[in-house]
Amino acid sequence: MKGRNVVVLKIRNGAAVLIVALACLQTLPARAQSAPAPTPAKQAPTAIPYANMPPAAVPFGRYRKPYQDWFVDSSTLEYYGAARERPDGDLAALKTINIGFLGPLDANNYDSPYGIAMLHGSQMAVDDANAHGGYHGKPFALKVHDDLPLWGASSMAIVNMVYDDHDWAMLGSVDSASTHIELRATLKLELPIMDTATNDPTVTQTRIPWLMHNFPDDRQQGYALADYVFNQRHLKRVGILQVNNRYGRAGKDVFFETARRIGHQPLVEVWYAPDATDFSAQLETLKASGIDGLVIWGDAAQAGLVLKQMRAMAMQQPVFASSRACYPEVLKIAGPAAEGLVMVSAIDPTRMDPEWQQFRQRFLARFHTEPDAYAAYAYDGMNLLIASIQKAGLNRGTIMDALRQYEMKRYTGVSGTAFFDYTLNNIAPVTFAKIQNGQFVYWPEQRTDWHGKPVSFLR
Amino acid sequence: MERASAASHGRKILWIVGIFLLATSVAAAQDPSFYTKWTNYTSANGFPPGEVYCVTVDGNRVWAGTGHGLVLLENGRIQKVFTTKDGLAGRAVMSVAVDRLTGDVWIGTFGGLSRYSGGQFKNYTNLTSGLANDLVYGVAVQGQYLWVATTAGVNRLDTHTGSWSIFNESNAPFEEPWTYGISVGAEKIYFAVWGGGVLSYDLANHYWKPYTDPDGEMELVLYRNQGLIHNIVSSVSWNPDTKTFWASTYFGLSSYDGRNWHNYLTKDSGLPSNFINAVKSRGNQVWACTQKGLSEFNPTTNTWITYRPDAKTGRGEILITRPDGSKRQIASSTTLAHNYILNLDFQGDDIWVATANGLSHGARQPYKQQASGAQSTARSLGR
Repeated sequence: MKGRNVVVLKIRNGAAVLIVALACLQTLPARAQSAPAPTPAKQAPTAIPYANMPPAAVPFGRYRKPYQDWFVDSSTLEYYGAARERPDGDLAALKTINIGFLGPLDANNYDSPYGIAMLHGSQMAVDDANAHGGYHGKPFALKVHDDLPLWGASSMAIVNMVYDDHDWAMLGSVDSASTHIELRATLKLELPIMDTATNDPTVTQTRIPWLMHNFPDDRQQGYALADYVFNQRHLKRVGILQVNNRYGRAGKDVFFETARRIGHQPLVEVWYAPDATDFSAQLETLKASGIDGLVIWGDAAQAGLVLKQMRAMAMQQPVFASSRACYPEVLKIAGPAAEGLVMVSAIDPTRMDPEWQQFRQRFLARFHTEPDAYAAYAYDGMNLLIASIQKAGLNRGTIMDALRQYEMKRYTGVSGTAFFDYTLNNIAPVTFAKIQNGQFVYWPEQRTDWHGKPVSFLR
Repeated sequence: MERASAASHGRKILWIVGIFLLATSVAAAQDPSFYTKWTNYTSANGFPPGEVYCVTVDGNRVWAGTGHGLVLLENGRIQKVFTTKDGLAGRAVMSVAVDRLTGDVWIGTFGGLSRYSGGQFKNYTNLTSGLANDLVYGVAVQGQYLWVATTAGVNRLDTHTGSWSIFNESNAPFEEPWTYGISVGAEKIYFAVWGGGVLSYDLANHYWKPYTDPDGEMELVLYRNQGLIHNIVSSVSWNPDTKTFWASTYFGLSSYDGRNWHNYLTKDSGLPSNFINAVKSRGNQVWACTQKGLSEFNPTTNTWITYRPDAKTGRGEILITRPDGSKRQIASSTTLAHNYILNLDFQGDDIWVATANGLSHGARQPYKQQASGAQSTARSLGR
């Protein structure tokens, strides 16, 4: 038995209460290859604040206890509909067991690098499952839909998945608006969704029981960065630079609000267009504000350009960034100017455990590129979907039930160990990365108790 | 002397009024009427299987939107199931509105908007018209205008000129463009916006007003009657009799009468679930379509009546929650087709209810009159 102390923070009514719970961490066997459906790991302590929220970041926490708290008990995703009562699929009449995929794939789509990685990870999981016999001898088949960049153009994808493709579940998407549209449509159409790439935390704040999410969202990234920047690096006058799209806006909000609540309201926030290459105007504003640190919520290429132009302007402040900046491209573009950059990373690609290494080597051999976080979480997410279908059979309602069995439980896959809360959102600690001597150096998030002392949580 | 006589006369009137009110309330309490006569339309009697997403009454005709097309019932009989083969824009029908002047039927589907007129369908999609998006959740007729709630904003179609307007985050105070429901009032139109609260549009002065969750947080309700209870609003219903709009959310029920907000959760009311798919209100009735039954709320008496099938017996369960929180449960021999309620509409005093497993038609009967036919095992339940 692996065991360790888990410190859980809980705050309400202005008072922080530290609850020390002894948790037995019995993680699931790794599922680098498709294997029989796993049973979710033993239940973790339940006194976990929603989204693993730091005490200091609890809304209104200093002033009053809310009349109602959501997402903190097992009634969060209750379902009393009729999906389970529908007839099961007729296996004999099916040639394939279809699973839908929605992701940005067109090269003109800003998000396509993430979508393509997500597709490759999904394909590997499907192929692994088929190599192990598929579903009672019938192969799983991925029904791929391109998430078009035009807003709302992909909204009919889930309708087609249900009525034309006859999918049993779906995986997607990257863009949070598209994911929200699928989520609301599935409340009517009742198709289980595995979301492995969206950062938007509101996707799991709807009480719709049909969606599971395993990618570290903006809350997890924002809390981790705020703790690191203010409690561990002790900065006080931070500026924010964000890409002006839904990814940048939603992500920035969490960091900004957390910083404000702990008494370090960012001095200035500026944005740039998704296709910007010249950041001089934004950097002049930031420089004039007298910041002692900069947080970038954007992608790697532009983070690289920002760093290069920033250092050229003799701005030597430390720079921090969200997980989409954590790609080799940032180093390639910024060169020495990237030195010291600290980023949230959704995975630690230097892990040496056999699950990750086997996946990495197989992925590299097949797609001739290193797997990124989007590939890893898609592989894990598709494995979770397939395992749920194996366990529940060809009934969308019972497949949803099988996914919901992961509430307040762990799952270990190639991306690491996830912990799913009552909203079926992964709230496990994130990884940090720093560019040091021209190399990416990774370490696990070490959150403090917001008074300077380290705490361990959910690890 | 005259003053004393007048005072005595006033006291007598007060006594008479008091006794009358007491008598009527006792009578009402002793002889309540409930929806105990239910007729269900399911796959067992030729109705399309699965969810009924919406129901709209048009005189003696009833339109029901399902995952297998649009069903027309006339005088309680299924007349026709319209599908995409008949020309319907999409298979899953989310909303229906009837233009009382022209008789045209407007149908919102997951596949676009349809107009059924003169036995023919005419379709409007994102590619062929000004429709903002093909996922259409709501339709409503206001004079010559048709209002359409889509996943990418609100459309207004001028049915006289055929011109389209679109309202979204670029020209109106939408926090999110995802629109779910519409309710037409004489002066304003109300919109249920997923993630964006309630929006009203002033017809005379052409301005928008948002009503959003004042605490701004998805994970909590700060004060009980703080304002709108949550920004994820699934439907809205304007009640012209009480000048109040009601908003259903997946986080409880809200009402606003222009001065005060009132919010309702399972922990402080007779609501069976905080997950509410739709709300409709008229007179002193507020109907909440929840995932654990259909609730009728009377704000004047602060009494809730919830109808649902008993999970164990399959018979009807009627749960009455009094203002003091005490509960009483009675049984009925017939009940709704399913406890998961998506929508309802009124036909006189009757109601038509869309459920997750068929359409239900309910008729109200005095409880005393049908006590022998229905269960008379009424019992009081503790809080």
